[in-house]
Amino acid sequence: MPIIVNLDVMMAKRKIAAGDLAERIDITPANLSILKNNKAKAVRFSTLEAICRELDCQPGDILEFVKENDE
Amino acid sequence: MNLKWTSEKSLRLSRILTIAVLALAVIILFLIPLITQWYDDVSGKNPIMPVLTVCLYLSDIMAIGALWELKTLLANISKQELFTERNTKCVRVISWCCFGLAAVFAVLSFWRLLALLVAIIAAFVGLILRVVKNMLATATELREENDFTI
Repeated sequence: MPIIVNLDVMMAKRKIAAGDLAERIDITPANLSILKNNKAKAVRFSTLEAICRELDCQPGDILEFVKENDE
Repeated sequence: MNLKWTSEKSLRLSRILTIAVLALAVIILFLIPLITQWYDDVSGKNPIMPVLTVCLYLSDIMAIGALWELKTLLANISKQELFTERNTKCVRVISWCCFGLAAVFAVLSFWRLLALLVAIIAAFVGLILRVVKNMLATATELREENDFTI
């Protein structure tokens, strides 16, 4: 999928654990794992807003567009 | 004793009926030589007997296939697994079994015109199941999209 979720990079920068972030943004650890592993098909604005608030970042820091033919 | 009719009881009844009909279809498969022999004796030496025997074998095999898939589908429903690719495949196989049955009876209708009626009914049921299969496939896609929206 051309949209890459760089959540793990941002989490490492902010030194926050997955379980901790999941609790703070009010989603299950399983759903956070889906998001982290690029398995998600869509992200709600409310989820994105909560992530940006907790990690103190912009949506562009988490989401990246990569062209399909780029390796 | 609780006599109230629930969806769970309805599902159990469907499973029992499916297994019973499946068992009957398997028994009939072994009884086809006897059935054709009996028909031959009753109707006198009939020239369509080889065609009838082949049609009976083919239709019974397709019925067994459809009933087996129906049994799998009911087992999945009882496990609360509704909109899955496996269930879509089950309905698709049952639909093709109906179309196969329609083809067999359409061939038989060259000798017995009444078989055309069975062929039309089987094709109609197959068509309805095909639409149900398309609906199930779309519902599965929507469920997946919903499950993977975080």
